[in-house]
Amino acid sequence: MATTSVGSIDFPQRKAARLRFQDRRRLFLIALAVPAVVYVVLIALWPLAQGIWYSFFDYNLLRGGGRRTFVGLANYAELWTDSTARRALINTFVFTFAAVALEFVFGLCLALLLWREGRFNRICLAFLLIPVTITPVVVGLIFRALLAVDYGFFGYYLAEWGISGPRGFLASTSSALPVVILIDVWEWTPLVALILLAGLKSLPGDILEAASADGATALQRFRLVVLPLLLPTVFLALVLRVMDAFRVFDIIFVTTGGGPGDATNSLMVYGVKQGLQFFNIGFASAIGNVAILCIAVLCAAFTLLIRRADVRANET
Amino acid sequence: MSTASLLKLGVAGLVYVSIAGAALAADKPLAGITLNLASQNDQFAPVIAKLAPKFEEETGATVKVDILDYGSLLTKTQADFIGHTKNYDLVTMDIVWAGQYADNKYTVDLTDWIKRDADEMKLDDIYPSTIKYIGQYDGKQVAFPFAGYAAVLAYRKDLLDAAGLKVPETAEEFVETAIKLTDPDKKQYGFVANGQKGPAVAQDWLQYNAQLGGSVLDASGKPAINSEANVNSLKVYKELFDKAAPPGAVDYDWGGREESFRQGLVAMMETWSVGAPGYYDPSMSKIVDSVAITTTPVAKGLPVKYGLGGWGMGINADIDPAQQEAAWKFIKWLTSPEIQKEFNMEGAGSYIRKSTLADPDLNKKFPYLPVIAKSFENADGDYRPRIPQYPEIQDLLGTAVNAVLVGGVEPKAALDEVQEKAVKLF
Repeated sequence: MATTSVGSIDFPQRKAARLRFQDRRRLFLIALAVPAVVYVVLIALWPLAQGIWYSFFDYNLLRGGGRRTFVGLANYAELWTDSTARRALINTFVFTFAAVALEFVFGLCLALLLWREGRFNRICLAFLLIPVTITPVVVGLIFRALLAVDYGFFGYYLAEWGISGPRGFLASTSSALPVVILIDVWEWTPLVALILLAGLKSLPGDILEAASADGATALQRFRLVVLPLLLPTVFLALVLRVMDAFRVFDIIFVTTGGGPGDATNSLMVYGVKQGLQFFNIGFASAIGNVAILCIAVLCAAFTLLIRRADVRANET
Repeated sequence: MSTASLLKLGVAGLVYVSIAGAALAADKPLAGITLNLASQNDQFAPVIAKLAPKFEEETGATVKVDILDYGSLLTKTQADFIGHTKNYDLVTMDIVWAGQYADNKYTVDLTDWIKRDADEMKLDDIYPSTIKYIGQYDGKQVAFPFAGYAAVLAYRKDLLDAAGLKVPETAEEFVETAIKLTDPDKKQYGFVANGQKGPAVAQDWLQYNAQLGGSVLDASGKPAINSEANVNSLKVYKELFDKAAPPGAVDYDWGGREESFRQGLVAMMETWSVGAPGYYDPSMSKIVDSVAITTTPVAKGLPVKYGLGGWGMGINADIDPAQQEAAWKFIKWLTSPEIQKEFNMEGAGSYIRKSTLADPDLNKKFPYLPVIAKSFENADGDYRPRIPQYPEIQDLLGTAVNAVLVGGVEPKAALDEVQEKAVKLF
């Protein structure tokens, strides 16, 4: 039965036509999303699922004709019983926490210093971004050359003056990891500063002016106004850096190769060696899965912490 | 011209073209074939690339040389074999990969082909040690040697003379002399070796370990890494690094080690003979007039054996038979006496033939060739065990020995840990 609409009254014919249009629109949107979904499934989810599956097998492409033997969680257990893997896991956590903490502290200081508008600050910001634009492999090679005791610009004099010991900072088990952390800090602090600066610039000026008018000191304004309002940006910066720092590979690979001994060995350096050098696919998959799990847990922890801090800030 | 004449001319033309084509095909039997070669980035690689057009001229086959560093070569070729992707027809194989190649049947077993072509190849002229160690494993010939290296002792005549010391003849004398020649105030060091974590330090230590009586495997072929002899040799290696090596040596790989010697920082260095041409090249060396080369010193009372290393060439087992035959022709050509001479005149530093090492032109250019010949006659290519598990054992040793050198751990504890992990690989 054909009907028509007058004013706000819907008549059946028009309603059916609109539904058909909505269905068509939905189909069109689904069709638009399909390539992206297929891409993600093929490129991310399928390999991830395969990686999880392989991690339950003793699967070495170079031995036993590439046969797979089910071993349950043995590869995961080996991550803790194998002293090299355990050292790599611990190093990765130390590297991530130390590097991200330092990058956050220095980045926040730099962002606060550059907050004010001005030509000088703009020039400083431009120079500050240079390290971020250099690929980590090149950064590693530059620092390796600078710190070499035979010919390095810093390494030679640091050894001559007895500051680094005769073999240099990178050849000592006690100083190699801190040095690698500092190299990462040098490269990525400007990025953290830039993200935090963007957050600072977007803060509402009237609230800060009101706080000043109420007699709040600079420290109070920072603690009670700036920091709570900056929390979403802080979260972004920390999550980005944690994800990146936990996967550290290139800087370590080119500066120390994970040495001396296992002093700077990281989970990714060890995983790449197991997977692409020894083709030990089962164990390498387990290493990769643990890395993903750790990153997910760390990011979830950050989300919870920031949310709790946000709630507390709103209550006060 | 009549139609009949035109027809005759046409037929004659066709016959001529056919005959000419057949003659050309007989002249260049491999015309149209392309051989892809994955080559280690050693001194021989650019020379092979330079000589490849000559092979094309003679046979018609094009040889494309992909020059790769050690890690990339291992990863790319293994991925090619595992994935059966046939990217490479020919691969250069390090002596220590033989076990893995044989175990996984990566390359064609050349045993029968070598027997078939023995006369053509003048097999008697090739050092048996190079054929045995570089490519022979478990009854299979997985690669054919084309670049044999001898472990040699390079030393500075001037520094030894000035100190009134003679060239060390035993491992014990070597340690003593190295320490005596060290004077850090003058930036003069008695010894240098690879200290860098990974294959670099593992391979160099294994060389000294063999000379001091150590061995990674026991008589039954099982790991004996924490044996007393190995622990003692690691103590000696550490002593040399602490008392006689440049401070930066703990991070040297082959390049750093060779450079420190060429720049005159070091008095003695055990090395592969392939690096020797560089010491005599004034464009890169400061020790041209003072360098000399001799055989490596072995500990008192031990049988005199000299380390053998080098590269063989293997044929990918996945490629089709016609391509395999073409690849074999290239190997025969490259290892022929004439090409081996040319190869080494160009500075490849890679020897397998008695006639090449005895060649007057080559001896005039490279005076140390008799040392290599002597080493090949008493060669030991198994001091780095050529077993399928070698890459993992080398990696474990590469970390442990480096940790000992930088003072992170005691030699016994380090080798105990390696032994514990190595046993799991067997």
